Amino acid sequence: MDNIAKNINQLIADGSVDIFIGYVKGNDNRAKAAFFNISDKVDNAIFDASCTQNLAVYLHKHEIKSFAKIGIFANYSTLRAIIQLANENQIKAEKYIIQTMNKDSQIITFANLTEVESYVQANRPAPAAAMIQKLDSLSKMDRDERWEFWSKELASCIKCYACRSACPMCYCSQCTTDCNQPQWIGVPAHGQGNFEWHIMRAMHLAGRCVACGECQRVCPMEIPLGLLNARLNIDIATNFGETAGMTLGADYALSSYKVDDKEHFIR
Amino acid sequence: MNELKTINKDKLHQLFDKLIADGNDVIAPKRKSEKVFFGKIISSSDICYDYIQTAFSAKSSVFPKCEELFSYEKNDNEIKHLDPVFSDKTTIVFGSRPCDSASFDYLKVFFLKENPDFHFAKRYDSTLLISMTCNKSDEHCFCTSVGISPSDTKGSDVSLTDLENGEFLAEIISDKGKKFVADYSSFFENKGDISQKSNKNAKVDIKFDLDKLKTKIKGSFDWDTWDKQSLACLGCGACAFACPTCTCFDIQDEASPKSGSRIRIWDTCALSLFTLHASGHNPRENQAGRWRNRVLHKFEYTDTKFDMVSCVGCGRCIKTCPASMNIINQVISIMEA
Ligand code: SF4
Ligand code: SF4
Ligand code: SF4
Ligand code: SF4
Repeated sequence: MDNIAKNINQLIADGSVDIFIGYVKGNDNRAKAAFFNISDKVDNAIFDASCTQNLAVYLHKHEIKSFAKIGIFANYSTLRAIIQLANENQIKAEKYIIQTMNKDSQIITFANLTEVESYVQANRPAPAAAMIQKLDSLSKMDRDERWEFWSKELASCIKCYACRSACPMCYCSQCTTDCNQPQWIGVPAHGQGNFEWHIMRAMHLAGRCVACGECQRVCPMEIPLGLLNARLNIDIATNFGETAGMTLGADYALSSYKVDDKEHFIR
Repeated sequence: MNELKTINKDKLHQLFDKLIADGNDVIAPKRKSEKVFFGKIISSSDICYDYIQTAFSAKSSVFPKCEELFSYEKNDNEIKHLDPVFSDKTTIVFGSRPCDSASFDYLKVFFLKENPDFHFAKRYDSTLLISMTCNKSDEHCFCTSVGISPSDTKGSDVSLTDLENGEFLAEIISDKGKKFVADYSSFFENKGDISQKSNKNAKVDIKFDLDKLKTKIKGSFDWDTWDKQSLACLGCGACAFACPTCTCFDIQDEASPKSGSRIRIWDTCALSLFTLHASGHNPRENQAGRWRNRVLHKFEYTDTKFDMVSCVGCGRCIKTCPASMNIINQVISIMEA
């Protein structure tokens, strides 16, 4: 990991970045987000298979936003989130030095978002077989069985909002579920409140979810949230030909329309 | 000296099955997929023994994530007020670890000391804690740093130790426990040797000196360690909801023109909404302040108010945190500052 540390030290030393976001070893076998030049020692920097957290989530945290020049060592999902955040006008590319490490352990520094776009398109991993299998088995269920499946899963949700907090695309300053005038979503973590919360969140991420799997990874109750987003991602790709975080400048399906849309209501 | 008995695994399971058949709730460790959670079992065969600690504490048996405080119905001009109905049966919580059981001593103080909480009292009075001492621990356990140990019986009604030969040593701790064991005496055997216990129980190293921490933390409010340690914190409720001694709640009214109910739900200082004023001003404006509040609450505020440090060293917040935050590292950074 010496070359990662050397590289970060260099960027800090020559004033290219005020803070560099990367990974260090965290609890158990997980990596932890690190904030070099502020709170973590560069020598501890790592980048390996344990670095699954989507670091783009920190780009809209106001403690981080306040730095003028930010470096980030991004894994694949983080890169996709960066593209999508740029498409949604949430980040200004000039502020960031974006790096990753390719399969041959070489550090890549992206000159601009167009290079990030080419990289994510060229390196897109195949969808996880287990996920596809589970989605298939869900589509084969009839409505009652599916209702039963989700009622059981969602009943255990405690509304800790870890899924929302870890999601790079949940950046709203006031989430719909926190809005109480009017109160759209039942606050208690009971059957109805949980359904409302998860249907709402899934709809808000339809066509925006970058498939990093963070919501499912962080859910302390082991709820397979990824299935909701994966299903919607497939539907959006099939019906609108779009996949979030893959194409720079793309509109996202649920916030744009075409005047020649085949649906009449839109005109 | 506590009264000692033994019970073998078959008998213990027969006892649970009888309790269930008699209409009592038995809450025990159950595996979901990777993790083990406390949950209501319908048969003793649901119990999972392969856990160092359940992912969440047993607090939900006395302080559920969501509970109705009262409800009402309105007909013409008459309003009927309805209290929730509590079962007259016992809820048996089986398999709580010493840290978890000790947390019940804190929960009792929090909910019952100043303004006794009706709903908590109802649930607590009908709950029996059959705990299990720890033969294994992991790197995140720090009970011994906060005055608890893997052999502790604090807070338990009956404390079992797995002798790993198909038998459990049973220490009968409280009056509730004595009555329970007397009622079901045929399941237990009148023998037992306390010296067998320490051979089995795990050894957990002390990670920090609690008295020193209590002194040091008092002046730490303005230190930059909070800012540095909390940058990774995402501001969710996972740590507090998993924590056996986090007791904050919110009250929500759910009403239609004809009826409604008032519901108590878990809440936490880690969420920015927790301190947000109606004006839009938030006195705890960043995550560092929220993270600090949770840690100070455990080690300073409850110590001042109740003379009790309220962290029981279970390490659940560490294991549950999606961002790998670590309360031990925070404590150590205060000690070293
Ligand atoms: S992380 Fe899991 S338990 Fe928490 S709010 Fe999301 S789905 Fe519910
Ligand atoms: S769930 Fe919807 S409203 Fe809430 S933060 Fe995510 S995108 Fe925003
Ligand atoms: S410490 Fe971890 S679990 Fe707690 S609020 Fe922060 S991110 Fe969530
Ligand atoms: S603060 Fe953490 S370690 Fe302490 S009792 Fe709560 S969950 Fe356990």
